Amino acid sequence: MSTANRAIKAKPEALPDFLSEDLNNSKVVRLSGVDSNSMQHLAPGEALTLASLPAGEISVPLEFWLENKEELLNREARVALQLAGKEQAEDIVEQLNDIDMVVLTFVNFVDGRSYSDAYKLRTRLGFSGEIRAVGDVHFDQLGFLARVGVDAFELSDDEDHEYALKAFKEFSEVYQPSADGKPLIFSRRRVVH
Amino acid sequence: MYQYDAIDKTIVSERVSQFRDQVRRHLAGELSAAELQPLRLRNGLYMQIHAHMLRVSIPYGLLNSAQMRTLAHIARKYDRGYGHFTTRQNIQYNWPELADVPDILEDLSEVEMHAMQTSGNCIRNISSDQYAGVATDEIIDPRPYCEIIRQWSTLHPEFYWLPRKFKIAVTGATTDRAAVQFHDIGLEVVKSAAGEIGFKVYVGGGLGRTPVVGKVIKEFLPRDDILSYCESILRVYNLHGRRDNKYKARIKILVNAMGIDAFREQVEADWAHFKDGELKLHDTDFETMKAFFPQPAYEDLEDGDVRIDQWLQLDTKFADWYHNNTVEHRQPGYRIVNVSLKEHGVAPGDATDEQMDAIADIAEDYSFGEIRVTHEQNLVLSDVRQQDLLEVWKALDAARLATANIGSVNDMICCPGLDFCSLANATSIPIAKQINETFNDFQELYDIGEVKIKMSGCMNACGHHHVGHIGILGVDKKGEEWYQLTVGGDASNAAELGTRMGPAIAKDNVGKAVRDILDVYRDSREGEERLLDTFRRVGIEPFKERVYAEENS
Ligand code: SF4
Repeated sequence: MSTANRAIKAKPEALPDFLSEDLNNSKVVRLSGVDSNSMQHLAPGEALTLASLPAGEISVPLEFWLENKEELLNREARVALQLAGKEQAEDIVEQLNDIDMVVLTFVNFVDGRSYSDAYKLRTRLGFSGEIRAVGDVHFDQLGFLARVGVDAFELSDDEDHEYALKAFKEFSEVYQPSADGKPLIFSRRRVVH
Repeated sequence: MYQYDAIDKTIVSERVSQFRDQVRRHLAGELSAAELQPLRLRNGLYMQIHAHMLRVSIPYGLLNSAQMRTLAHIARKYDRGYGHFTTRQNIQYNWPELADVPDILEDLSEVEMHAMQTSGNCIRNISSDQYAGVATDEIIDPRPYCEIIRQWSTLHPEFYWLPRKFKIAVTGATTDRAAVQFHDIGLEVVKSAAGEIGFKVYVGGGLGRTPVVGKVIKEFLPRDDILSYCESILRVYNLHGRRDNKYKARIKILVNAMGIDAFREQVEADWAHFKDGELKLHDTDFETMKAFFPQPAYEDLEDGDVRIDQWLQLDTKFADWYHNNTVEHRQPGYRIVNVSLKEHGVAPGDATDEQMDAIADIAEDYSFGEIRVTHEQNLVLSDVRQQDLLEVWKALDAARLATANIGSVNDMICCPGLDFCSLANATSIPIAKQINETFNDFQELYDIGEVKIKMSGCMNACGHHHVGHIGILGVDKKGEEWYQLTVGGDASNAAELGTRMGPAIAKDNVGKAVRDILDVYRDSREGEERLLDTFRRVGIEPFKERVYAEENS
């Protein structure tokens, strides 16, 4: 594209973006309740090769996916695609037909880039599969992540998963629209007046 | 002013419950201090040198008497009997206990106040013109627009974990009293030739370590599009702003790195996706909001009440106060009254619980029960009948709130500095005292006229020193406090950063250096020139020569 993108890319690396080790949580929180989880999230690195892939459901980094797409699509078990903080939702537009789950990898929960990615995936790129947040994900992020379009969350095994469901109910009203299709506060008031 | 409906009330009270639960989990050992930190910050709660500090939001600086009484009550019940009004038109308490904070927030919610997003890397309180709705140079009242933006930005799920804090300011007058060119987004309400209302949009302005004047991203944005356009700016920033270095994380750095044209291109590309969607505002939205800010029920009065002339002649203290602390009002028979929080010997911006209660009473009796907080850390009673001025002055004077020094050398802006702030290099409150003591002759102050002195205890520039007519910055030299002076900064329309004088000045000599600067001004001013005008004409050299004369001789 234009000079704009070049300028953006020219910046120094931000925080680390990718999972530093494989993730293997036994549970996943959904808006509807807590389920068991069998998906393994594989961290990028030398150790990650086609030959080394574990059996069962896996998610893989975008670069690995692009290099090995054909083989991955031939796997029996489900394969999901990871989108790291510095990767843009637009980078995976052409992959969306081949996958039914995008995994947002949070290396540090204060890094809010993935919120905008989830929003774009839902509202602009027409992705209706699962968007799952993994990594540094805690109770206190779940409410807003759900609003921007994330619908599954992996908390570490030592967190209280049943309690986490409360996060979706902390606020019964909101001021602004997001990927959840809530109206702008002022359009609701229009109806009243 | 704006009044909460059931939706606002629900959000604020659910927010209190949420924070109560977070504090409970922390005290029960379920949430570590590190995990609590960003959550408490987004509720205005900092950890400072001695204790926690709670910053309460005062949206665009507007308060009613009941709210002011609650602020007094909080100072009395949970703090040490005072609060500190800030340059962001908020109030801070320096000594609350963590366990009490949920109760404080609950007390605030009862008068439609909160501390949401007063700190943390999210969209902060919207600031605006302290004379909104009453200024003689106002084109459009900015308050309805501020409130619309406040609501949209509150608990916005996508922009709660930004690279860094994000500040928006709105002005609607020809003189910019909100410093919009020094905000992440600055909005100037304008009317097109066709009479259409919109905004001139500035982006990437700010003070801090790297002071930058905002750049125009859009000359005219129709008002219907204000929320979607701000959202696009924030989205581009959220995705691309630096997160590797907190000193390079503000949007100004991104805009400078990309260039304003490339940045604009990204914003416009994002905006094209949804500009006519749910965020588009309707005329009725503005009408509904405007109805919350009606013109007060003014009486039909005339200017030029003869009693005022008599009072002015009879009492020179009243006369000084009248000339310095009150401002022309656009409604005949009324005047704007500034309440000075710069009494000598008191930290600038501090008010005791008793003073807050007194102001609440005076506002109720004489100014339609409304009070404004200025970014110069004073208060304003915006609608006082001229015939009541003597009474108002007496009442303010009794509460030690009538120091006749608004706009003068003594009306300094000053951050908390080393006395309270863990980031500080140097103290600032004692310097304010030193300057006050250097200039304790009020007639001299009036002769010097308008000088805005702004002081910060470190490069983070909470005291906006870059845009002070005289700016003072605390620096650390081998463990000693030194002060770097600038002259010629200006936060208003002609936005300008101050020019550095030269080497930093020792702590004991700051008052003298300020005196030297003002002596040069008085010797060389022409006609009605203010310090700023003289500086623009003669440059920095004559000031430098005098300030550093002794060292050089
Ligand atoms: S300018 Fe520095 S010292 Fe002053 S309040 Fe801000 S961070 Fe603290």
